[in-house]
Amino acid sequence: MMKKILALVLMLAVCFSVFAVAHAEPTEVELWHYFDSSNDKDMINKWVDDYNALQDKIHITATYVSRQELMNQYAIGAISGELPDIGMVDSPDMASFISLGVFADITDQLNAWGELDQFYPGPLSSCMDAEGKLYGLPQNTNCLALGCNMDLLKAAGYDHMPKDLTELKEMVAKTSDPENGIYGMAMCCIGTEEGTFQLLPWLRSSVGGQGVNVDNLTAQSAVDGLTVLGDFIHNNYMSKEAVNWTQADAWYAFCAGKAAMVECGTWHLAMTGDINGAFEYDFCLLPTGEEGTSTSTIGGENFGICTGCKDTDACVDFLKWMCSKEKEAEWAVGAGKIPVRGDSEAEYTYETKGFQVFVDEMNYAQARGPHAEWPTISEAIYTACQSVFVDNADPAEALAKAMETIAPIVAENPLP
Amino acid sequence: MQKRKISVSAQKRKEAYFFILPAFFYILLVMGYPMVYNAVLSLKNMDVKNLKSGASVFIGLQNYTELFGNETFRLVLKNTFVFTIACLVFQFTIGFAFALFFKQHFPLSGLIRGMILISYMMPMAVTGLLGKNMFMNDGLINDLLKRIGMTGPEWLTNTTYSLPAVIIMNCWVGIPFNMLLLISGLTSIHDDVYESAMIDGAGWGKRFVFITLPLMKSSILAVLMLGFIYTFRAFDLMYIMTKGGPLNSTDVLGTYSYMFSFTQFKFSRGAAVAMVLFACLFVVGMFYLHLLRREEE
Amino acid sequence: MDGMMSRRKKILCAAIAVLIAILFLFPIYWLVQLSFKPDMEAFGRVLTYYPHTFTVSPWQENLDDPVFITSLRNSFINGFLTMGITLLLGVPAAYGMGRYKVRGSVLFLLTFLVSQMLPASLTLTPLYLIFNSAKLLGTHISSPIAIAASSIPFAVITLRPFFRSVPVTLDEAARLDGCGPVRAFFYVMIPAVKTGIITIIVISFLNGWNDLVYSMTFNVGADMRPLTANIYKFQSAYGTKWNCIMAYGTILVLPVVILFIFMQKYIVGGLTAGAVKE
Repeated sequence: MMKKILALVLMLAVCFSVFAVAHAEPTEVELWHYFDSSNDKDMINKWVDDYNALQDKIHITATYVSRQELMNQYAIGAISGELPDIGMVDSPDMASFISLGVFADITDQLNAWGELDQFYPGPLSSCMDAEGKLYGLPQNTNCLALGCNMDLLKAAGYDHMPKDLTELKEMVAKTSDPENGIYGMAMCCIGTEEGTFQLLPWLRSSVGGQGVNVDNLTAQSAVDGLTVLGDFIHNNYMSKEAVNWTQADAWYAFCAGKAAMVECGTWHLAMTGDINGAFEYDFCLLPTGEEGTSTSTIGGENFGICTGCKDTDACVDFLKWMCSKEKEAEWAVGAGKIPVRGDSEAEYTYETKGFQVFVDEMNYAQARGPHAEWPTISEAIYTACQSVFVDNADPAEALAKAMETIAPIVAENPLP
Repeated sequence: MQKRKISVSAQKRKEAYFFILPAFFYILLVMGYPMVYNAVLSLKNMDVKNLKSGASVFIGLQNYTELFGNETFRLVLKNTFVFTIACLVFQFTIGFAFALFFKQHFPLSGLIRGMILISYMMPMAVTGLLGKNMFMNDGLINDLLKRIGMTGPEWLTNTTYSLPAVIIMNCWVGIPFNMLLLISGLTSIHDDVYESAMIDGAGWGKRFVFITLPLMKSSILAVLMLGFIYTFRAFDLMYIMTKGGPLNSTDVLGTYSYMFSFTQFKFSRGAAVAMVLFACLFVVGMFYLHLLRREEE
Repeated sequence: MDGMMSRRKKILCAAIAVLIAILFLFPIYWLVQLSFKPDMEAFGRVLTYYPHTFTVSPWQENLDDPVFITSLRNSFINGFLTMGITLLLGVPAAYGMGRYKVRGSVLFLLTFLVSQMLPASLTLTPLYLIFNSAKLLGTHISSPIAIAASSIPFAVITLRPFFRSVPVTLDEAARLDGCGPVRAFFYVMIPAVKTGIITIIVISFLNGWNDLVYSMTFNVGADMRPLTANIYKFQSAYGTKWNCIMAYGTILVLPVVILFIFMQKYIVGGLTAGAVKE
């Protein structure tokens, strides 16, 4: 009897352990993101749930951390070693965090994947260090174009949107009506990375020459571009508040009918509901130069695997899934972004004309950096522009001063 | 000085340490380490380029000499002092006046005194946002000024008026704070002291100068000292309301060091700015202790 | 003193007080009224002084957020824990330093002062390292420990003068009655400095309640964050969508105001008790 019971217990124990091995608990991993609009947030949560159900190697928990706080957590994490397993980052900041050691080198895993050549080079380059090693994948991309309030343009006697910089200047002047709180132009010139993002297309303007990169801001074309913006503000064609506005603020000013034109991002296409049918609107290439040309800045978010990740290979698999051809297209439509892969076909179900403009604009859009000291370069840029807007500084002198900061940095480590 | 007024027996000393030491060690543990950490960091050259490799080295006082040679840093230092002194002057004098006023017994005195404390109780994050809204060029403040026939300045988009706007917002919080602390001090003065003075024929001014001020001296010193510390290391208000801008016009040492450490990842430079902030406060703190000791002798 | 004030003077004082109240409370009104405006009015072209179109949707948006109640709870936990640590350590220390003359008292005071002198943003990293090795990250106690490190010195510095001003006869009498130092502290000294203690209770609670930077750094999980950390989230989500932010601001201020109305009674109570006693 005793033996039988013992055998039974043993058998049960064996069964149990086999059972336990077969159903090994997936590794718990953490993903941090700063998607905060309801579209993005819901989608990332759903995707994480979907992926958790799809496989049993890892179980991902997605945590929202506000953008600024996420940056701090990475900086502190770089020192203390406490990091999530998968982390999201704004593309121009990635180079700094790679340099700080926040992200792990996953070049081999990604090369073995064989799909890297489908990715657009601009967004992909933001995931690389100076030696070309990869630390993550771009997940979405976007750029800047011009939004127009067609009712206000019509009232000023125009039936079309500005085609070049000269026409833009004219239209901005004509549509401005400061008495009634209406400005011709709205954009974000705030003293943060957001400001640099929106200011760069104008500094890279190609009027009267070749558009320049940030290592050559003393070029006449850059000075002219900044002079145009300075004139907008000094002539009251653009609210001086722009120096405190975020991109969302500029967009809301446009939606509230306070601005005839606005420099806006791809993601704003998912937010046209804010206009609430108050006026007719349309989008066109950012008219920073001659007709038929444009300049713009590439934006977007990357995902990387953090150093100390509990299961790097499994997490890379998640990145590959998230940045697959189908998922890229799905994200672009849901969040109002542009896929980072050439083979993804996003079938936008709304604002189709608008998306076409932004997709065209991508051809003219340039990346920021990548450079480990981009934040310092960026600060020099927005400071120069703000000193023109706020302190009436001379654009040439202001940019020359910015170059004093930028030149030694790019002399040590050149921009790509 | 040679003669101790109170001789301290061993028993009494034990009692005193029993009360004081737990807090002392707690502070030493929680704040001592960060202090040493920052001091050491400020002598290195740790930044975005060498954190990973651990190749940062000691560079002596180079961070400090470079800071003081920097025009922006000197502006920030000036901003910090202007901000602190202006806030202190306004919030202390007005706060004291309010404390004296609301200490009297009249209808609504208790209620209103409590109500104006709300501004002090609000999180600075909300205060900063409110300030950002009210001081917009076409915002509440300028609209009110227009109604009384004045043209308000461009507050937050002008380097001359941005700091005053931040100072006004800080005083809105600081005045009730000063009032609260001073009113607590005032209530510890017993009414009979005043009554006997009144019998002696002392007027309001005399009573204030010869009774209130001397009896309040340690409270006043404490309020000014704390006010100085909290104002001098201000961070939240500027960070939310202006981000230090436009053009560093509202940047103070707290925001400036934060920008170095967490935006530009120049950790050592940020620590050096924090140490300068610390050094300024340390000097003021020593002065306070000196006054306190003289008074307590 | 009370009896000395004439009726006319009382009315005049009340009138001045009402003016002061209007001046100080108008921004609060501004905050609340913004939260009831629809988007287009909140940042529209024309400045309105009250909601011309009344809406509760900014409020709804906030209250619908499932983490709201959790955050509210976390804010209270932050406030009460900070208050607890501060009272436990700060009040005895203030008493010890106010009533005894011991060697090293200058050193103690200096330490308490100096600990206030680093900006919170710069103590983040080293404190993070400490909490990390003590396995305190992601627990409710981590932020209160850091916040209390600044409210304890506050308590010591503001309460010390109170303890000093209590007549020596009071605790000598207690000692003669056979009270030990701890009993004398609890039964004689604390009641004697009641107003000061209430001030410390209120302020240390508020320090915990209002904290933003520590709570965000030491607790990343949504279920650990207090309300203040959420308002930050709203700011980035909406740009500066004033109505939603102000609704959140109002929610954040409301419990404190309610709490304070009750506390206020005690402060006034302390005042009148002092007047009656003499």
